[in-house]
Amino acid sequence: MSLFRRKSSCHAGPAEAPCGAKKVALVGNPNVGKSVLFNALTGSYVTVSNYPGTSVEIARGTAEIGGEKFEIIDTPGMYSLLPITEEEKVARRILLEDPPDVVVHVVDARNLERMLAMTIQLLEAELPVILVLNIMDEAERLGIAIDTRLLAERLGIPVLGAAVGRKRGLAEIRAAINGFRKNPPAVPGYNGWLENDIKEIAGLLGNGSALSPRAVALLLLQRDQEITDLVRQAEGERFAAVEAKIGEKTYVRRGSFHLDLSLERRKVAERLLQGVFKAPDRRKATLGDRLSRLAVRPLTGVPLLIAVLYFGLYQFVGVFGAGTLVDFLEGTLFEEYFNPWVEGLVRGVIPWPVVQELFVGEYGVITLGLRYAVGIILPIVATFFLFFSMLEDSGYFPRLALLVDRLFKMIGLSGRAVIPMVLGFGCDTMATMVTRTLETVRERIIATLLLALAIPCSAQLGVIMALLSQAPGALLIWFLSLLFVFLLIGLLAARVIPGELPMFYMELPPLRLPQLSNILTKTYSRMQWYLLEILPLFILASVLLWFGKVTYLFDKMIAWAEPAMAAVGLPREAAVAFIFGFFRRDYGAAGLYDLQTQGLLDARQLTVAAVTLTLFLPCIAQFLIIKKERGLRVALAIGIFVSLFAFGSGYLLNRLLAATGVL
Amino acid sequence: MRCDFCGYEFTEEEAVRGCGNCPVGAECKMMKCPRCNYEIPLEPQWLKKVKKLFAKE
Repeated sequence: MSLFRRKSSCHAGPAEAPCGAKKVALVGNPNVGKSVLFNALTGSYVTVSNYPGTSVEIARGTAEIGGEKFEIIDTPGMYSLLPITEEEKVARRILLEDPPDVVVHVVDARNLERMLAMTIQLLEAELPVILVLNIMDEAERLGIAIDTRLLAERLGIPVLGAAVGRKRGLAEIRAAINGFRKNPPAVPGYNGWLENDIKEIAGLLGNGSALSPRAVALLLLQRDQEITDLVRQAEGERFAAVEAKIGEKTYVRRGSFHLDLSLERRKVAERLLQGVFKAPDRRKATLGDRLSRLAVRPLTGVPLLIAVLYFGLYQFVGVFGAGTLVDFLEGTLFEEYFNPWVEGLVRGVIPWPVVQELFVGEYGVITLGLRYAVGIILPIVATFFLFFSMLEDSGYFPRLALLVDRLFKMIGLSGRAVIPMVLGFGCDTMATMVTRTLETVRERIIATLLLALAIPCSAQLGVIMALLSQAPGALLIWFLSLLFVFLLIGLLAARVIPGELPMFYMELPPLRLPQLSNILTKTYSRMQWYLLEILPLFILASVLLWFGKVTYLFDKMIAWAEPAMAAVGLPREAAVAFIFGFFRRDYGAAGLYDLQTQGLLDARQLTVAAVTLTLFLPCIAQFLIIKKERGLRVALAIGIFVSLFAFGSGYLLNRLLAATGVL
Repeated sequence: MRCDFCGYEFTEEEAVRGCGNCPVGAECKMMKCPRCNYEIPLEPQWLKKVKKLFAKE
């Protein structure tokens, strides 16, 4: 029997079918109504248990249909036979190890074209499939008409329309399960080279799998590790030939196999649905659809991105958050009312000047730490997270990933790297951890380096935008400098660091109008997390700075940094912002804000300081995460490189601006 | 809940399983999508209770 199959056994559970009962597996994407169908078929006789060796729960129940007992299995949601999540792996194992007598593939009728790709995979695997087009009531309400008979004819399997939530189509589904006879399905063909690859590999495989050799060949070509291991075990010595052939084919198609296969399946689905699926024209022309198309095309997507950045980041976060709100909170509330009051209170209560300094001195816990955290950083992160949550809830980020995919490929990354890059604008430390999800080691190192170097965190970004917007052209120079560095270092790193080219394709969720309750909840949660994290750190930094000041260590550090400051054309006081910046990036930016309000920096110095500080060494927390994720050697190499590169860039920019007289 | 990046729907329990190796551990107020690993802030407990209260009514 099948080498992938597990020996079937009979358990004596209350909800389990008697020995010999036919097995029916319900499969399909999450949220298509599988569980509703399961409950409708099985009633209350159900057992829920973890799939062996996993924490994934599987529900099993029995149903009596036409006088015959069936065991019904509700599998976890899966998008494809090529699994990504543990749930998808379990769902596939159910099909592989204990092949059901009937596989009921439940799809959302409204998204038939998208979901038909998995039906095609089930047919390729030669599984006994019944296709249930669920949520037909909603589809009809939207004006969609589906010719289920024509589709059944084309696929060679039963196709049924249903709305199981409303008990519509249940009798037909029961009858189809009971009377199911497996006929040879109409397995759709792909283009020439793909068919050829499949045939060559399938021809080398034995017939031991629960899936057809064609389906196994496709999974092998997609580098499915679990299937590769199973085939290795099943084929024994013959596996070497299979492996060599797969290696040869995947080398030739390495850049785009997943994408090509996905496009082929889409083409097949389109072909199958010609004359079957009729949607009203207006469905094609919703505002969301139009905007979605505009967002991913370079010609329209780039201007749209610039507009989003201008209004969202510059106007809302920079001008309103870091300008108007910070002026009010820091300039008026703290400087005019709170700080004088608390200074008077502390100096009246505590007689020792050294201890007074700890709380209300130049680097006092309250007058500096609390002021920075609440007066400067809070309004900036609040406006940033509000803007971020709005974009997030609208579904814009996956479109941004598609838009920049081509550009990112040039620098050794893929569109998937947009996830840590976007999160880096919130907090680089957290984003560095997310780089572990990137496909190749090379991609992870490049993304970590770029995060440490050229992606400012939210508060740093807000302060810098507010400061530079006061000098015409300064913000543009800062932005162009960072973009240049991002691309240059990315291009160089992609050439220096060896490794495979990543690939990227993703399913786009619908673009939608952001919901106010979602935006507010996410903003609140992020701000709570952010403040809980930064307040203790700001206070700790203030204590360390106070200690440095009373022991004169801090003055010495400033004196040591003086030559570096002079090299980039900055006053010695600017060293304070860089020392702050090592504690936290945003703390450094707030230090720069103080220098600007004291009138210590002109437009050129401000621009150079902003560029150097943005490129400068990641904060302590980010450094520790880099060490954890990439190892001490890579962390030290990145730290040293970034520090030297930051001051080198500052030096060159200062010279360039002085020579051209731009600022 | 739904991932804001790829649209995948999952439960909080599923998301927490992806955090096993993370040094931040239980202190973190974020969840990771099991499909694309995008980070999503966790809804505060008090807000969940309020929503539940209104849902019952």
